[in-house]
Amino acid sequence: MSAPVSAIRDPLIEGGKTYHDITEDICSPTEKTPNLAWIIAFIISASALAFYVFCVAWTVWQGIGSWNLNRTINWGWDITNFVWWVGIGHAGTLISAILLLFRQKWRTGVNRAAEAMTIFAVMCAGQFPLIHMGRLWLAFFIFPYPNTRGPLWVNFNSPLLWDVFAISTYFTVSLLFWYTGLVPDLATVRDRARGLRKKIYNFVSFGWTGAAKHWQRWESLSLVLAGLATPLVLSVHTIVSFDFATSVIPGWHTTIFPPYFVAGAIFSGFAMVQTLMVITRKVLNLQEYITLEHIESMNKVILLTGTMVGVAYLTELFIAWYSGYIYEQFAFYNRVLGPYYWSYIGMMSCNVLSPQIFWFRKMRRSIFVTFIMSIFVNIGMWFERFVIISSTLARDYLPTSWSYYTPTWVEIGLFIGTLGLFFTLYLVFTRLAPVVAVAEVKSILKTAGDQYVGNGAQAQAGTVEQKEVH
Amino acid sequence: MQKEVLYGLYDDEEVLLKAISRARESHMNIMDVFTPFPVHGLEHAMGLSESRLHISGFVYGAIGALTAFLFMTWVFTRDWPIIFGGKPYWSVPAFIPITFEVTVLFAAVGMVVTFYTICGMWPGVKPAVLDERITDDKFCLAFDATHSTEEERSAMEGFLSSSGASEVHTKNV
Amino acid sequence: MNQFAFESKQKIFLLGAMGLGVVCMVLTFLVDDPLHTRFWSNFLHNSVFFTGIAFVSLFVLAAFTTAYSGWHTLVKRIWETYSLFLIPGLILMGVIILGIWGHFHHLYHWADPAAVAEDEILQGKSAFLNKNWYTIGTVVILGIWAYFAWRMHRISVQEDLQGTSDFSHHRRYRYWSAAFLPVGAFTSAALIWQWVMSIDAHWYSTLFAWYATASWFVAAMALTILTVIFLKALGYMEEVSTNHLHDLGKYAFAFSIFWTYLWFSQYMLIWYGNVGEETIYFRERLDHYPTMFYGNLILNFVAPFFILMRNDTKRKFGTMVLTSIILLLGHWWDFFLMIKPGVYHTAQEVLGHGAHGGGETGHDAAGHAASTFHAGFTMPGLLELGTFIGFLALFLYFVFNRLEKVSLIPPNDPYLAESKHHTVWPY
Repeated sequence: MSAPVSAIRDPLIEGGKTYHDITEDICSPTEKTPNLAWIIAFIISASALAFYVFCVAWTVWQGIGSWNLNRTINWGWDITNFVWWVGIGHAGTLISAILLLFRQKWRTGVNRAAEAMTIFAVMCAGQFPLIHMGRLWLAFFIFPYPNTRGPLWVNFNSPLLWDVFAISTYFTVSLLFWYTGLVPDLATVRDRARGLRKKIYNFVSFGWTGAAKHWQRWESLSLVLAGLATPLVLSVHTIVSFDFATSVIPGWHTTIFPPYFVAGAIFSGFAMVQTLMVITRKVLNLQEYITLEHIESMNKVILLTGTMVGVAYLTELFIAWYSGYIYEQFAFYNRVLGPYYWSYIGMMSCNVLSPQIFWFRKMRRSIFVTFIMSIFVNIGMWFERFVIISSTLARDYLPTSWSYYTPTWVEIGLFIGTLGLFFTLYLVFTRLAPVVAVAEVKSILKTAGDQYVGNGAQAQAGTVEQKEVH
Repeated sequence: MQKEVLYGLYDDEEVLLKAISRARESHMNIMDVFTPFPVHGLEHAMGLSESRLHISGFVYGAIGALTAFLFMTWVFTRDWPIIFGGKPYWSVPAFIPITFEVTVLFAAVGMVVTFYTICGMWPGVKPAVLDERITDDKFCLAFDATHSTEEERSAMEGFLSSSGASEVHTKNV
Repeated sequence: MNQFAFESKQKIFLLGAMGLGVVCMVLTFLVDDPLHTRFWSNFLHNSVFFTGIAFVSLFVLAAFTTAYSGWHTLVKRIWETYSLFLIPGLILMGVIILGIWGHFHHLYHWADPAAVAEDEILQGKSAFLNKNWYTIGTVVILGIWAYFAWRMHRISVQEDLQGTSDFSHHRRYRYWSAAFLPVGAFTSAALIWQWVMSIDAHWYSTLFAWYATASWFVAAMALTILTVIFLKALGYMEEVSTNHLHDLGKYAFAFSIFWTYLWFSQYMLIWYGNVGEETIYFRERLDHYPTMFYGNLILNFVAPFFILMRNDTKRKFGTMVLTSIILLLGHWWDFFLMIKPGVYHTAQEVLGHGAHGGGETGHDAAGHAASTFHAGFTMPGLLELGTFIGFLALFLYFVFNRLEKVSLIPPNDPYLAESKHHTVWPY
């Protein structure tokens, strides 16, 4: 029944797993007490999270004046961090939605964790616009609700409001998509659990039984959600780019921003997935499910999107010259050679040049190189947003208001703090839910398990036959 | 009402699929099939009709699109028209992003709610789990034996074990 | 049947269609203004359109191969032969280049030394927009693409004849594919800027190259679907099933949406920014080409969106033929709208009447609409359609001629078995 698989493909599940092995390997981490590495990581993350809460409180108490924003540079680290986190929050949906439509089987190994990461990253991203409001308790003003002011509605023509809709829709849909995928796996955990755990997992798995009709609907739902999430994921970073591109500020008002932001988002998102996966597979002992093949595939995506971002950087530079518009030309001159030249260098070297080493298969398959590169790309993409925001604002039309910006400890603290929030949530997730999609991995076992495909297939064929007989 | 279910557990989905086809050929009334993961070709083998969930998604999406677009139109042309940036009151290009987002939101939320409702799944639902290994590695073919005679039962049991089931059980759910 | 035979009646039919194209071009030449603007802009329009389809076919092939896609193996020969059209494409664009050097046409504002002399903006761009770069860029870049196309085709044919079980040919094919991706990505932008964007020489948009590529992409998919269905109707490619059609349809659908996304991004940002230098591009099109402007969206977004959204329509041959024709014409229409207004404007300036009689000021908008119909510019006329059919016939003649020389199904491709058993599941 299973469709033939080309002999040129490498297996995606190693170790000659049976269905039961898969359940056992992936679900068991949720059933054991955490190891020392996890506890140390959790303490560090939670401390950073505590510091975050402190910095937010400080900002609210002291006011936005505790940041170093000024009249010229009125967006700084806050929006940089916002865009950076939103970007990171793109990989999960890309992996689960776009790769589902493109039928890339390797997505099954990493989609669960990547989607979780997406949701946490979007949560981190959402913090910054809210904190930047200063009066956090009036945050509900951004929603269009009938009010006593007229009613004076929100400005539906403002890209900042589009952002509100985009981020909240993206968060909601990602959460639903992720959780619906998780329900059958939570049922698997439920059926292995006893006592109170069983009750809890019964509650969260919604009474899933695995009935054929449910699976059919579940698949239909997943597919349509994937179809909806694909344009959605593009729209989110597109709308973030509109925040800049709808303005008439040289260096911001450029039509390539939407697809270029999306490519950059995928790029940084995959880098963060790599960072997490390289550690997760080791700590939770999932090397046979998140194989070198997965890592190599993701490195290829990083190479591809890194190069796309590079094409966009060069396009911008070229068109700035081509435009014949002196302000545009100055904006880009300033970007490369102005006061923030160091961040431009950081961006170019981390985002465009360094990923080029992934042209070599050996590098793509090296865990060490992958990990270092993933950090590089994360840094580079942070720099990209900083370059776009600060270097542009620092030199506006009026030379008398030219300025330079360095963050205060509060702004740095908020950034580090959201990292704490992110990692705390991720660490909790690894304890509570299967980090690899159990059911989906089972469904590709016979077309991607190493006892069925690849070099080892013939050698192990005999043993598999025996297993099936009894 | 309690049901008496007679079911067989299979170790491999391909054996299960063959059993289902045989059961349908011999006009046995399958109550349900439970699997640990979505099995390729299962709906076809069981003759399930295509899910219409995606149609509901389209309807929800269309409602979302209309809601968002008409609401913004009403606000900016009737309720409180404001000129900003020299653009017309009814500036369609600027309404597109929010219209799109709300379309997706309505479609996704609506479909998910519909899915859980028609599947009868909500937090706290007590599922009728026939065997705890179904979510692990067993494939289950179940018959409703509540009103069956002894003969029919033994026919079902015979069918299950002859079609490759590794275990056959009866359970009241 | 794995061996396509290009029958003489098909040849005669295609040659007849080419003849029709030639007749139409001659007629266009005769009824044209003194600069033969309509003739030359038609020539450019179709050359760019079909060369672009060839480029995208190569790019798709390279992308699919690099992404380990298996399902497309049964149709990959079509893309391989499509991509070989880059060689005739080079000749077609060579004619445009000759025209620039010989001053046979005035398609490009920047190619006119007199205009550049009194135009500061054009002077600023002249380091890029000049005859030398146009020639070198076109010849070198198209040459590189054609080399890749020829090379990959050759490896693929060798694989047919001497494919081995270690898949060394396929691995080699993959190296060339991977190498082509960055090459194609970087260079295609330069060519689109030169060929199309520089027609509106003052105007610029960073997104333009990606937008035009997306347009080519959908056109290439539409033409692929038509070719596949044609070959199937003749009894070839029995193994290409509705599943393959479904996937091709998905690509046509997805990239129609993607095209719309880019269209909207470009339009909305320029509309929102409201900078005169940029909005003039759309102002011109909205004022003088409203049918083309809105028709573009209906053909390339509304139609495919509603037709291809359902799964079952993507699996029906009749619907897919209809949709593909809409999309192919739609993107041809899109390129028409990219090229013609700027060309017309340039020609009117050279001929000494300011384009559209000062339409930019908009003071006579009401009486304007009636007087601005220009045959072959405001809308594609019969002559344009005939020229298109001629070019299409040339393209297909070339493709079928090449297709005849190789096996329709690559017998030693490592993914052949996967492609033969390809099912779109779940639907």
